[in-house]
Amino acid sequence: MASTPKTPICLCDLAVGATARFHAADLDPEFSRFLRSVGLTQTSELRLCRNGDPCIVQVRATRIGMSKAVAGQVYVVPTSGT
Amino acid sequence: MLGEALADTVLSARARSRPARVALIGNPNTGKTTTFNRLCGSRAKTSNFPGTTTSTRLGRAELTSSRAVEVLDLPGVYELHIEAPESLIARAVLEGDGAFRRPDAAIVVVDACNLTRNLVLVGELLHYDVPLVVGLNMVDLAQRRGLTVDVNVLSRRLGVPVVPMIARRAEGVDALRMALLRALDFPRAKRPADLPAGTSSPEALTAWADELLTEAAGASAPNGSGPDSFTEGLDRAFTNPILGLVTFFAVMGGLFWALFTLATLPMDLIEATFAYFGQLAVTYLPAGPLRDLLTDGIISGIAGTIVFLPQICLLFFFISLLEDTGYLARAAFVMDRVLHRFGLPGQAFVPLLTSHACALPGIMSARLIPNRRDRLATIMVAPFMSCSARLPVYVLLTSLLFAGQPGWAGLAFACCYLLGGAAALLSALLFGRTVLKGGARPMVLELPTYKMPSFTNALVTARDQGIAFLRTAGTVIMAICIVMWWLSAYPRVDTPESVRTLRAEADQPELSVGRVAELRARADTLEARAVQAGSFAGRIGRTIQPAFEPLGYDWQLTVGVLTSFLAREVFVSTMSVFVGGAADAEVNVGVIDRIRTMRRDDGRLVFTPATAASTLVFFVLAMQCLPTLAVTHKETGALKYPILQLLYMSGLAYVSALIVYQSLRAMGWS
Repeated sequence: MASTPKTPICLCDLAVGATARFHAADLDPEFSRFLRSVGLTQTSELRLCRNGDPCIVQVRATRIGMSKAVAGQVYVVPTSGT
Repeated sequence: MLGEALADTVLSARARSRPARVALIGNPNTGKTTTFNRLCGSRAKTSNFPGTTTSTRLGRAELTSSRAVEVLDLPGVYELHIEAPESLIARAVLEGDGAFRRPDAAIVVVDACNLTRNLVLVGELLHYDVPLVVGLNMVDLAQRRGLTVDVNVLSRRLGVPVVPMIARRAEGVDALRMALLRALDFPRAKRPADLPAGTSSPEALTAWADELLTEAAGASAPNGSGPDSFTEGLDRAFTNPILGLVTFFAVMGGLFWALFTLATLPMDLIEATFAYFGQLAVTYLPAGPLRDLLTDGIISGIAGTIVFLPQICLLFFFISLLEDTGYLARAAFVMDRVLHRFGLPGQAFVPLLTSHACALPGIMSARLIPNRRDRLATIMVAPFMSCSARLPVYVLLTSLLFAGQPGWAGLAFACCYLLGGAAALLSALLFGRTVLKGGARPMVLELPTYKMPSFTNALVTARDQGIAFLRTAGTVIMAICIVMWWLSAYPRVDTPESVRTLRAEADQPELSVGRVAELRARADTLEARAVQAGSFAGRIGRTIQPAFEPLGYDWQLTVGVLTSFLAREVFVSTMSVFVGGAADAEVNVGVIDRIRTMRRDDGRLVFTPATAASTLVFFVLAMQCLPTLAVTHKETGALKYPILQLLYMSGLAYVSALIVYQSLRAMGWS
């Protein structure tokens, strides 16, 4: 039986240490472009290192800090540890 | 063989006639600047890209004893095909657009610890058909993390030379030079067959980069984004709401303590050197307009500005070190929580703190802020912070306001700092709702790896910023000094009768040496007062005094305010001249007491509690520093911003001083 794809959740709702795939961002195009350019693409897995303000995620070897206002608009699909 | 040798000779001859140009490109935080410094040494020219305020460096690198190339250091870019200013500049350079000459080759510096993301940029660069050399930097750090990259495999798959390097220790830099030489003489233009098309999405390029990394690094290729306990521990501490703030204030306190301590000696030396030059001019030049121009206009004006050079160099040296360690990005998040409410970004803390020393380096350090709107907001409000030039004015006016009450005077002094800070934050809020639409951008930053800072980079940065400051000081600021000196020294007035009488008395042979000196000093100060009153500045002061009447200022106080547009501390010497003191008077009890007894033409005191408070508020808020306006113009690239800064700050100062004076007068304190 094929597993059902998980529902996207807000990045802020992910548990610290959990991994997820980037789904979408309800952000100004400038921020969306920046996030993609630092590697936050739909094919990349991220890990939540710190929740709060700032929220810190790691995509491969890149650590990205984002204010709570930005993290609240980023949606991810959990892959482990929710 | 012969053909190859001939081609080599022809190419070398061509190269000798015009040095090849090499673009140096890479993601931010990959060691690109360190690589540039290793290739070019300290011989580099810093300037802005045409039509932008983004600075670049152009250096000369010796590839062999007889072959040199020009190296153009491009700003750090994550991707070429986005509309960020850095990407637009990089694309224009690579395409040879407009003012840019197309490079003959490019070096792309990549971080061995973060290869996938860096290879995405390499993939984009391969579409430009510019001979490319990949500098695989920080291989030591990658090995420590268990990542070993086979450079031969990577080079074969990319179709370009890949040179492993540790730029911080200059390892691999010679090999990079040789690879660049070969790439220039025997360019290859074959793209990898599996390279996604130029219009591909970042996802397609990332997948291609991932595949390359797996092939080149084999089993050591990083899988996912595993935790790094050292980095995570430091990040937790530095971004913690309480511990982060404590760390921030400790780091900044240390930085400014070091800045002021270390800058004292060179500042004293600069002052002494210029004083010596002034003395030389007085000794060897005949009295007259040329000597006055040189001593009172050029030498003293330039000295008053250049004295801040040590602070500027040291500030940029420390900022560069902090930036290199990776701490500054974390500190920006700590301050963002406070500053964001006022429409300023977290990174604004450096310019605002620095402006307490002098607004010139403060405004220059706003270059740290990537977003133009946020940078403009910071530059516009930085001069509200109480700079060191305001100190003597604060000392004078708070002492006048609270004579014999040092406690109250100290409190008023502290309130000046608070008023300046509050005005900066509230003005940023106002600008965000008017001329600079919107609040500060929510912060998103790459948090670079923690590493040892490079002292060479810090020294080069300090030197470059110092030279940029000297260029402004030597041109615009010098012109301003000359104009302000001329306004306050001309037209010459006839020597007053009282001065002639004093000098005649001093020439009497029976007088003691001390008495002669005293009479001559009195004659000199009386003459200086007459010159001040009769000068253009004095006449302008009398003409526009009615505009300052509602603030309680007479013509002398109006002239004091006007002349302090050259530099605020000039106010004290102007006031001192009016009460018959020396023009180079420092703030001491004698000067304060004399100024306290200053009289208006109708015999009333110039400084009542109401006028002293009104003047104090005016000096806290007004834009009375023409060099700052010159630097604002340079850093914003538009004339409208210094004009707005001047009108807004001076308008706010006028209205606030008016309210203070009229309120105190209504309470009977005039």
